[in-house]
Amino acid sequence: MRPGLALLRTTTFRLALVQAGIVLSFVVALLIYVYLATVGQLNADSDILADQEYATLERAYGEGGIRRLNQEVVERAARQGPLLYVLAEPNGVIITGDFPQLPVLPGETVERIDFTFERPDESGELERGRARGQVGRLLNGPILLVARDLGDTALISGRITRALWTVAAVGILFAFASGLAGAWLAGQRVEALTNTTRDVMAGDLTRRAPVTGEGDEYDALAVAINAMLDRLERLMAISRTAGDAIAHDLRSPLTRFRHRLESALDAPPDVEADREALRKALEEADRLLDMFAAVLKLARVESNPDWRFERIDATEDLRELVDFYEPAAEEQGRTLCGEIADGLVLSGEQGLFNQAVSNLIENALKYTPEGGRVEVKAVRRPDGRIEIAVSDDGPGIPPSERERVLERFVRLESARSSPGAGLGLSLVAAVARLHRGGLHLRDGLGDETHHGLCAALVLPAIDAAAAR
Amino acid sequence: MRVLLVEDDADMAQSLKASLTADEHDVEIAGDGELGQSMALNGGYDVIVLDRMLPKKLGVSVIKDLREQGLSTPVLMLSALHDEDHRVEGLEAGANDYLGKPYSTRELLARVKALWNGRGREAQTRLQVGDLEMDLLARIVKRGGKKLDLQPREFRLLEYLMRNSGQTVTRKMLLENVWDYHFDPQTNVIDVHISRLRSKIDRDFAQSLLHTVRGSGYRLEA
Repeated sequence: MRPGLALLRTTTFRLALVQAGIVLSFVVALLIYVYLATVGQLNADSDILADQEYATLERAYGEGGIRRLNQEVVERAARQGPLLYVLAEPNGVIITGDFPQLPVLPGETVERIDFTFERPDESGELERGRARGQVGRLLNGPILLVARDLGDTALISGRITRALWTVAAVGILFAFASGLAGAWLAGQRVEALTNTTRDVMAGDLTRRAPVTGEGDEYDALAVAINAMLDRLERLMAISRTAGDAIAHDLRSPLTRFRHRLESALDAPPDVEADREALRKALEEADRLLDMFAAVLKLARVESNPDWRFERIDATEDLRELVDFYEPAAEEQGRTLCGEIADGLVLSGEQGLFNQAVSNLIENALKYTPEGGRVEVKAVRRPDGRIEIAVSDDGPGIPPSERERVLERFVRLESARSSPGAGLGLSLVAAVARLHRGGLHLRDGLGDETHHGLCAALVLPAIDAAAAR
Repeated sequence: MRVLLVEDDADMAQSLKASLTADEHDVEIAGDGELGQSMALNGGYDVIVLDRMLPKKLGVSVIKDLREQGLSTPVLMLSALHDEDHRVEGLEAGANDYLGKPYSTRELLARVKALWNGRGREAQTRLQVGDLEMDLLARIVKRGGKKLDLQPREFRLLEYLMRNSGQTVTRKMLLENVWDYHFDPQTNVIDVHISRLRSKIDRDFAQSLLHTVRGSGYRLEA
């Protein structure tokens, strides 16, 4: 398509057309108004004038009869004023007046008429004109017509109409031109954005939309598109590393699995040893399946918005979770204690909520050395949200690494040797996002040198009283 | 016990049938939802094991129709995903239990047995296993006439074990039925709870009632 035609198809240009249409209808409305206000007013004025003159002459006829009336009409007609007069016999034969014929033979009542007339001008040629006035029969039959010559009025209204059409044409042209200019300018900006997205589609994820710094809506759009691209680029990077990580994490247990089966087959038959090998292989298989389940679950939490939310009594559930883990923690030589405020209620998915909190507790227990301490503290914050903070006095996570560990499959080197797929915190973060909340990592229960970790799950609360 | 297995994966079905047969059940297989439904209605089975994703008719629709037609046979639903929403949907449709893949064969066998044993046990107000007695109304537990002091959660744990006495209950069954948790704890949490309970009911007595079933779970038996 030619660029000129493309311009005509832009939204801005279409808007300009609409604008031109609006100007046109406005001008038409204005025309009607001005016509009524000028020509209409002139007509009304001539009606009044003709009425008054008719009444005056009728009075003169009453006082001095047909002779007096005749005299008055002859005098007035001779004046060549804006008013026209005709006096006629009851049968329509002209007695005297400005033009030599009656446009109409009136009935019993006085009539208002618009008519055209012909009369000889100074040079003797016939002159046509339009007039408006009234005609009627006086007592005993003579016909009197008083009208106003509309020649000047028609002239004025013609001028006004022409002026208005000129304005309309200029306005429509202007709207059209500004539409074209706007379309072209907007087209330039949009084309820049279009080019960026096209490049990104072609695979160049590093391209960004230009921001002119004018702070207009196109800049806002460009900034939003760039933010989206940043996130996309990050997600692409994550899924790439996730692919590597899952291959890496799955390969070791799969290799062990294979090795165990192979060496059991190679060894001389021995029922006890074979059974042991089978049992170990089964454990490895379970671990692999658990990992797949975790990956699938995370994907479902991140991609599936239609979870069933219900009212969750967080206070009760958190106390139960602490009670649930407390004996195991004690058994492993760690202290687990809870400090859960009353009346914490939220709207969420029960299973995911329990899982998220249990992940935090298990994580804390796992990374706390023997003799360590884990605290679960839940409060309603001043901003009305519920904060569930699970703190430990373990080694903690350096601030620079905190954001990274929330990404899936990321496990710090120090944690590589312990079991787990590196999905625990990712799942908690995903569950938090699903509930329009967040997961924040900060220093835990440690001291200056030994920071510990506090994982705080912040979720929107619902008013406990209202929820009941 | 006669078991109807509705599962479209032929290998999986044969493998499950072998395990169930080894556990002394009579097993018949239906390969799709429609066939499964008509066999369930006419076959007089004791337990139905129903996959969620089936050709021709989904498991959830099958169970809904079966319940509408008045069939009360216990149904264990199997699903590729052990997710809360699917589980709730299955249970609301009328399934009695729900097991997400991957599951172990032992887990499945234990669930099938529990479903069969669980019929009509709601009416009981007293449970007894050997000289261990539980009064569900007064919430009192005695062994050999001596009153035992149990925490509420220990009481519920023991209640579940006693209701299923004589058969193996898995850790997962305990987790789901006693705590209503549907995730896998990574630590030996359940074992610790069991060992605390065991110390209360078994320590002072010559005969142990609460047995560990290696690789599967626990069994309360006199």
